[in-house]
Amino acid sequence: MAEKKESKAELRSEEPRIGVYVCHCGLNIAGSVDCEEVAKFASTLPHVVLSQDNRYTCSDQGQEGIKRDIKEHKLNRVVVASCSPRLHEPTFRKACEDAGLNKYLFEMANIREHCSWVHLYDKKSATEKAEDLVKMAVAKVALLEAAEEVEVRIERKALIIGGGVAGIQAALDLADTGYKVFLVEKEPSIGGMMARIDKTFPTMDCSICILAPKMSDVGHHPNIELLTNSEVAEVKGYIGNFHVKVLKKPRYVTKDCSACGECAKVCPIVAPNEFDVGLASRHGIYSPFAQAVPATYLVDMSLCLNKEGVVVCDKCMKACERNAIVFEMKPETVNLEVGTIIVATGADVFDPSTLPNYGYGRYANVITSLEFERLINAGGPSGGHLLRLSDMQIPKTVAFVQCVGSRSDRNGRPYCSNVCCMNTIKDSLLIKEHWPDTEIYVFYVDIRAYGKGFEDLYKRARKARVKFIRGLPSEIKEDKRTHNLWLMGENTLQKELYKINVDMAILSVGLESRKDSEVVQRLLTLSRNQDGFFLEAHPKLRPVDAATGGVFFAGCAESPKDIKDSVTQASAAAGRAGILMAKGKVTVEAITPIVYPEKCKACGLCVKVCPYNAISLDTELKRVSIVEAACGGCGTCAAECPFGALTQSHFTDEQIIAQVDALTERDADKKIVAFCCNWCSYAGADFAGVSRMQYPPNVRIIRTMCSGRVAPKFVERAFARGAAAVMVTGCHLGDCHYINANYQTQKRVERMWKKMEQNGLRKERLQLLWASAAEGERFASKVREVKTIIDSVAPEEIEKAKKVFEKALEDN
Amino acid sequence: MPERIKHAPLDSRNLSHPRAEIHLIKDQCKGCGYCIEFCPKKVFEESDEINARGVRPPRIVNENKCILCHFCTAVCPDFAIYVVEKQSDQERKT
Repeated sequence: MAEKKESKAELRSEEPRIGVYVCHCGLNIAGSVDCEEVAKFASTLPHVVLSQDNRYTCSDQGQEGIKRDIKEHKLNRVVVASCSPRLHEPTFRKACEDAGLNKYLFEMANIREHCSWVHLYDKKSATEKAEDLVKMAVAKVALLEAAEEVEVRIERKALIIGGGVAGIQAALDLADTGYKVFLVEKEPSIGGMMARIDKTFPTMDCSICILAPKMSDVGHHPNIELLTNSEVAEVKGYIGNFHVKVLKKPRYVTKDCSACGECAKVCPIVAPNEFDVGLASRHGIYSPFAQAVPATYLVDMSLCLNKEGVVVCDKCMKACERNAIVFEMKPETVNLEVGTIIVATGADVFDPSTLPNYGYGRYANVITSLEFERLINAGGPSGGHLLRLSDMQIPKTVAFVQCVGSRSDRNGRPYCSNVCCMNTIKDSLLIKEHWPDTEIYVFYVDIRAYGKGFEDLYKRARKARVKFIRGLPSEIKEDKRTHNLWLMGENTLQKELYKINVDMAILSVGLESRKDSEVVQRLLTLSRNQDGFFLEAHPKLRPVDAATGGVFFAGCAESPKDIKDSVTQASAAAGRAGILMAKGKVTVEAITPIVYPEKCKACGLCVKVCPYNAISLDTELKRVSIVEAACGGCGTCAAECPFGALTQSHFTDEQIIAQVDALTERDADKKIVAFCCNWCSYAGADFAGVSRMQYPPNVRIIRTMCSGRVAPKFVERAFARGAAAVMVTGCHLGDCHYINANYQTQKRVERMWKKMEQNGLRKERLQLLWASAAEGERFASKVREVKTIIDSVAPEEIEKAKKVFEKALEDN
Repeated sequence: MPERIKHAPLDSRNLSHPRAEIHLIKDQCKGCGYCIEFCPKKVFEESDEINARGVRPPRIVNENKCILCHFCTAVCPDFAIYVVEKQSDQERKT
């Protein structure tokens, strides 16, 4: 801490020499912003010694230019006005560092996602806005201070949540690299969905035959510790140093089990086997399936007669030669210390019983594609015979109905589930292989055979005379006597209605996010998109990284995907986690709080709001101290401190106030000051830009790491400077990347509203918005809404607000 | 595995479970009710009749529910219950 202060003083004495680079980004920015004009404007700003515009600042040439200028013009601050800092800040920071400039002396103005792309048709306003954004960046950069990053050690162990094919692949890759891996699986066996599928497309390999060797590798690998029947209960810590609690449910069978199955033979309890989607039965003591890893049997305590330690029935114990059955087993909590986490929790299948028109659950011969997989599987309940469940006969005509639960806003989910088209094509060929005379209809919306070898398989199916009919049946009706099914709908290619009688209908169900993904989301502070799948840090450049450092995604947890893609992504995630662990250390951003002990009154408010318990109060010395490694860097302590004794590095009070002042310099009464949190709402505004969602150009965005950083005095300052409206935006409650810091935001905004109302100000002028990184439209429409509000704000109201918050101008 | 189960197991028709033959020696019962309380399948209930010892012995609700765990035999303090397996004509196939 002492060191930091010295360097600060040193730098303060130096006059800022700022270089501004306005990027055209081809026509991405230059198309709607007059970049030359912006550069010219920037040169008039205080401390700016160099200002230029160039086509691609991020190109090698552009970066070289910055490095050269830093040396030649003795620049000690750099501003690049281009895209989102979430995209290229690391690039330019690196360039600055290469030229010997501390990377914390760099600032970006986001004139692409937040300006040119969202104001495509209003060049004048867009240019004005770009000028403002540059002005804000220049004002901030002049006040920036050099900082050194703290290094954090990375524990060379990984946790993988989910033991499907993605989790298995990631575990094996990491374990083979030499890292210790903990694989946690909720079910009694690893294998996941792939273990239940009969064949894989497009090669028609036997699914379990290719998976089982991998499963047994996991079981035997010296670097993998398998925790089945277990769930992650708590995750604390941060990148490189996660403390994880895993709840291990008892199996009531010890490792001595030889999986002979004698116990199951004598068990009097019979229940449907979940692995076979209930199409086969199992006993109270059972092994989920033949290839299960671990092969150890387990007791389903919800069915077993021996409740609460009272052994009523001891048939299994008597049958077990190895005395492996122990009813006294208790759940245990396993504590793990890991450096990286891979989330491979997979997906659920859609429940078609919510669609009454298809009669699933009412008609015996309507089954799902997953039930079909079990029926066609030689090891399944019917020994590989596709049977009508009403009379156990092999059907002569079969219909597949596509997009059940996919691509429909009304009946299920709006997105395409990726795998069902090819799965149906594969299934139809399997039927043709066993019973070539079967008549097969496939009712579809579009056939998506986009992958390697997919089109060939589709052609094969057509050659095998599978009839593809475009247009989903609107209804399935059962013939009460024969239990045959009538499918009725419209063939949209031929523009005629059809009514087709089949022996069996297979609903090709889509994939949906896991019911408990919300729990995982909370545990790891992740985000999910509107479809419920986990959101990656960047859709193109960081597709397997979570926004939370040290967390990666693999498989269907991130989006529906087939086995090949899941395996690919798993290896990618393992590679990404491996990079961190190979280095063994990572630097954390220098955005921790700075304490001014002379101002501190030891009130302890900061200690209370810190989500990480990183602040401790010494009541005797009357001062607080900060554990930097534990600090997440939200800055909510700085917003809470009433005495200005705490501020956040790189987001100091004076820097943020300088931004507010810069943007309110001209036409403040037409402007909306928006505070956006780095992870959700800023990213959401970026998303609005990428999607070219147009909204009014009145808004000026100030980025903070967390909405919890937004101190009431920033809002007051904006109103005191005559701003028409203020937006405070952040992650949805419960989704905060800093555990719960945004609850503080809510409290502060509510307090502000009260204050405004008491002083006769319209509280609509201060808006609170929760928007996730995927909710660009939510952000854009909020801006549109606030625009209508500011249009109605009378000059007297502006003046009144100025007066009410007059005091805010005195600070600093 | 969270899928809802909508169809009955294919082998449900072939499943045979042991048939029990429950023997109550009613007059030996002192009406403690342990068998009623502890039977995991709730095979017994209190009857209306009064036995030789002047208490209500249990009565069998449904013999088919019995899974022959013999716990009633174990808990009965008066050795008043014993269960044997009914020899069915069919081979057991579990």
